[in-house]
Amino acid sequence: MPSRLPRITKTEAIVLRYRRLGDADRIVTLLTPHRGKVDVVAKGVLRSRSKLAGHLEPATHLEVVLAHGRNMDVVTQAQGLEGWPAIRADLDRLSAAMYLLELADRLTVEHAEAGAVYRHLHTGLARLARGDGQQVVTRTYELALLEATGFRPELAVCIACSEAVEASHASWSPLEGGVYCADCAGRRPGVSPLDGTVLRVLRAYQSQPYEEAGRIRLTDDLAARLEHVMHALMHAVAEREIGSAAFVSAARRARVNGEARAAEAAEAEADFEG
Amino acid sequence: MVFDPRDSDPRGGDSEPRGGDWGAGASPIQRLVDAFHRLPGIGPKSAQRLAYHVLRAPIEEARDLAGALIEVKQSIVLCERCQNVTDRSPCRVCADTSRDRTVICVVEEPLDVVAIDRTGGFRGLFHVLHGVVSPSDGIGPEDLKIAELLRRLGDVDTDVSEIIVATNPNLEGEATSMYLARLLRPMGLRVTRLARGLPAGADLEYADDVTLGRAMEFRQEV
Repeated sequence: MPSRLPRITKTEAIVLRYRRLGDADRIVTLLTPHRGKVDVVAKGVLRSRSKLAGHLEPATHLEVVLAHGRNMDVVTQAQGLEGWPAIRADLDRLSAAMYLLELADRLTVEHAEAGAVYRHLHTGLARLARGDGQQVVTRTYELALLEATGFRPELAVCIACSEAVEASHASWSPLEGGVYCADCAGRRPGVSPLDGTVLRVLRAYQSQPYEEAGRIRLTDDLAARLEHVMHALMHAVAEREIGSAAFVSAARRARVNGEARAAEAAEAEADFEG
Repeated sequence: MVFDPRDSDPRGGDSEPRGGDWGAGASPIQRLVDAFHRLPGIGPKSAQRLAYHVLRAPIEEARDLAGALIEVKQSIVLCERCQNVTDRSPCRVCADTSRDRTVICVVEEPLDVVAIDRTGGFRGLFHVLHGVVSPSDGIGPEDLKIAELLRRLGDVDTDVSEIIVATNPNLEGEATSMYLARLLRPMGLRVTRLARGLPAGADLEYADDVTLGRAMEFRQEV
């Protein structure tokens, strides 16, 4: 006698996003270690007395019980395992977490195995929450995600002639996902020069253990250049704009402008007192 | 000619096409069903019920409904100061000189103004953002009424000393409030956030860690 499919499933998951469904329900997109990305219905979560709502916020690691529905599974129980409150207390960390979630969402398809992406996302969020540098967390996450999904960028040898590429004379193409040597770059359209320091840092992030990579000191300017290169690569791989990337930059600009304004005010006050 | 409900039974046997022609060439009743169906939260059955209710109602009621729909689209504008929906600009709240003009409560949507005003506990001014930062949906800070807020703080509402950010306590609401704080604090303004914790009638056993942690952090003496 054939065994019947179980009517409920219990799984760990990370909430990627949600959208509204009717007056009080939501469709929640979860990333799970064994079932990949799944859309599930969370009923009544927009009501203030909902027992599920707080556990189903994006960037929450939770254990969830799903009842199998005709079209979509329905959340019957949810228990938060890690809410990472430190992420929600700082705009730079929060915007970075939004970016990590959006990348995981864009680079996975529903019901396809995504165990490695799940592990990288969990690690990335946990590192952000414990206060690791936003740049090293984000860049190493991007590179790990690209590797896990089969888009590992080639940063060491020319993707045209396979010769080793000197960092100071490198060019690159985000669409083709790799670097070119000086000879091959001249013969290719759509190839742009790549900053030598940026390439050295990316090579270190790709090849060194995380703890080693975290020791690399980045100036604000170098961090911005690194971010620009990696955002272009992720855009090319995802084949669409990554909205959170622009928000990460907007949040940083607001911080830099605020600090400059505060410094100006302090200077003016000192002048006045002097 | 006015529809007479006695001419046919709306619950069955009507001659309208089902599920096929919903375009401009469809019959008037099908277009009405289609129009109701486009409203949020209205499914196909509810749309049919509403359409047949309008059909059965006196012609005056239908005229009132049509008139109200047209009027709301033609006469409602955004208040030049607070960006709330209003029939005159500046709106009644912004024009009310008895309100506290040193504090502005920033909300996501016009309905949030109604909810906060109904409590009677806030007598300051409002500002409606018309959304929250939602990068994955392509909504960035530049798509909200943030520039309008900065402008009014610079020219009209220069006495403001505190901004209460009343966005929803979810990831996007938090991101929006922290982004606003980053813009407003360097201007010398006090930026506060609505208290977060357990809702009335909640059960501790089912509260999530973030909510319970904040309820503990912002506890009050009894």
